[in-house]
Amino acid sequence: MRYIKLPSENFEKFFKSLEAWGTVYAPVRKGSIYSFQEVHDPSEMALDYNRTMLPPKKFFFRPKEAILRLKNGRWEDEVEAEPMVLFGLHSCDIHGLKILDRVYLDEPADPYYKSRRERTLIIGISCMPDEYCFCKSLGTHFAMDGFDLFLHELPDGWLVRIGSVRGHEIAWENGELFEEVTDEDLANFKEFEERRANAFQKELPQEGLADMLDLAYNSPVWKKYAEICLACGNCNMVCPTCRCYEVCDRWMDAYKAVRERRYDSCFMENHGLVAGGHNFRPTRLDRFRHRYYCKSYFDPSAGYNCVGCGRCDEFCPAKIEHVKVLEEVRGSLK
Amino acid sequence: MSENPYQTYDARILEVKDLTSREKLFTLRFLDPEVGEKFEFRPGQFVIVDIRGFGEFPISICSSPTRKGYLQLCIRKAGRMTKFIHKMKEGDIIGIRGPYGNGFPMEEMEGSNLILVAGGLGMAPLRSVLWYAIDSGKYEHIWLLYGTKAYEDILFRDEIIHLLKHGEAMNCSVKLAYEVESPSCIYLERGFSDRVCRGVVTDLFRGEEFDVEKTYALICGPPVMYKFVIRELLDRKLSPGRIYMTLERRMRCGIGKCGHCIVGTSTSIKYVCKDGPVFTYWDALSTRGLI
Ligand SMILES: Cc1cc2nc3c(=O)[nH]c(=O)nc-3n(C[C@H](O)[C@H](O)[C@H](O)COP(=O)(O)OP(=O)(O)OC[C@H]3O[C@@H](n4cnc5c(N)ncnc54)[C@H](O)[C@@H]3O)c2cc1C
Ligand code: SF4
Ligand code: SF4
Ligand code: FES
Repeated sequence: MRYIKLPSENFEKFFKSLEAWGTVYAPVRKGSIYSFQEVHDPSEMALDYNRTMLPPKKFFFRPKEAILRLKNGRWEDEVEAEPMVLFGLHSCDIHGLKILDRVYLDEPADPYYKSRRERTLIIGISCMPDEYCFCKSLGTHFAMDGFDLFLHELPDGWLVRIGSVRGHEIAWENGELFEEVTDEDLANFKEFEERRANAFQKELPQEGLADMLDLAYNSPVWKKYAEICLACGNCNMVCPTCRCYEVCDRWMDAYKAVRERRYDSCFMENHGLVAGGHNFRPTRLDRFRHRYYCKSYFDPSAGYNCVGCGRCDEFCPAKIEHVKVLEEVRGSLK
Repeated sequence: MSENPYQTYDARILEVKDLTSREKLFTLRFLDPEVGEKFEFRPGQFVIVDIRGFGEFPISICSSPTRKGYLQLCIRKAGRMTKFIHKMKEGDIIGIRGPYGNGFPMEEMEGSNLILVAGGLGMAPLRSVLWYAIDSGKYEHIWLLYGTKAYEDILFRDEIIHLLKHGEAMNCSVKLAYEVESPSCIYLERGFSDRVCRGVVTDLFRGEEFDVEKTYALICGPPVMYKFVIRELLDRKLSPGRIYMTLERRMRCGIGKCGHCIVGTSTSIKYVCKDGPVFTYWDALSTRGLI
């Protein structure tokens, strides 16, 4: 890793230089929530945000998109993506993208996702946890890769970690904006990280989590929460690692049709329904439990399918808390 | 060829044949001979059928890779899309992508006995295994235990009756169980009293013993069937690793993206579309919700 410093006074210039790479999207405040939007000026951004409602997955795996267009009886596709810069991603969201990559870039790769991913510059930014964050428990509070540049806040600017060849190119082309990192900067960086590590209020003990959950398959806790759950599927929509989709063909006129896909949720009753009306997850209990199992699946090479971003808690209308459910399930085993 | 895995290839319907009142057999050929040439599959794999502008659905390949130049799908009229394809005729064009899934490990089983256990529509994927095994001649003996509702529901009836009569010459023994009595069934039962009976598919195991060291079982049928058939096999000491079953789940992508076919829990998650649809009983023991 190469480290450089971006002094505060050069931030705006640096930001402007990014427009040469593609449309810039960054967190913007909208009422009480944040969302990634196109921005043209640093003043539009809210870089001290906690989390956006929809995670950055929306740029690669869209809430709704046409994958094929029917013209003259044949499917045509438009795979080529526009270049983009995603500015200000938190470490957990970068990990979320890495988990999606494992699914969507695995052969045969999803061409839409892949093309957008290849044409997008990822710029991370440091953050302070709020009451919902538990990324530290899952080891996703620090990104070692998955970004081009990562900006860590310093009292007088930013410590920049360069994570890719493209990151190097940006630093190279804007050489005059950056400085060498001093010992003082490193001390400030370390101090920030320590302060941050101590600021987490929520913790998910993850020792033996996967096995514990499996053993607790019949725990009454699942039932208790399944009864409170509204099965609205919000938690799926906002999760940076949920990626189920549903497909539907739609006619535009007598000659043209599109094949569309859109976010799907495992809370929906028809998620496990097959022909003849047989449902493999017929009850809300089955579906509620399924989501927790899917999120807590541990892949030795990539970790859990949850990055601890806290979105499912913040945006659950029934106020169901992910960590609390898991801890209660664990408790019910004893 | 397109790099887009969601793109489908034109295939012409060469023939449509009524198998029963609910199932039709579609014989297809790819329009582009190059695509047809490259399309290789194993018994137990499936394709996604694309009716452009209406949608896609997964269907097992029911012909055998030993019989080249065409592809056969046995499709039950089950809902919106399958109803639509049932209206299609010879010469119509549909889209096909695939083949998908792991298929049965045919090479690994060479030299052994195969017990195929089919319930209802489960006969479709197993027909691919059946003809592959007979045509290749690489298997010691093949049993087909087939459970059906009524005489009218027997899929590939001509082939089944042919095998009842002449199967032994091809190292293949067929046994048939039916649930609803009818003159045709009674006639069959009289002709083959040792092999046709009224009952369910598990009744066909009665009196059968087999060399567990040299035998594999391959099962396909409705969800309720697995538990009972597996019990019969385990009672006869067949190892869980020698019991293969092919499963069905809702599928959209067929390639491990859309998440619909995921089964299991935190310790073991499987995609039926790419880790399956063929699983062993060991898989079922370690992955909850598989059967
Ligand atoms: C691996 C595999 C192999 C199969 N092989 C065969 C076969 O050889 N012959 C056969 O007749 N049927 C087979 N099926 C079942 C077949 O896919 C369904 O009958 C068919 O999708 C029903 O579609 P429909 O629109 O007519 O039904 P509807 O009930 O109207 O379906 C409504 C929606 O649910 C979807 N859907 C329903 N059932 C399934 C399902 N099982 N998998 C995925 N999506 C589903 C449909 O795509 C449709 O969009 C197989 C299924 C799988 C998963
Ligand atoms: S957001 Fe909350 S209420 Fe809605 S489905 Fe998820 S857990 Fe249930
Ligand atoms: S499960 Fe909840 S906390 Fe975990 S990644 Fe998804 S939204 Fe974030
Ligand atoms: S069918 Fe889409 S993941 Fe298996």
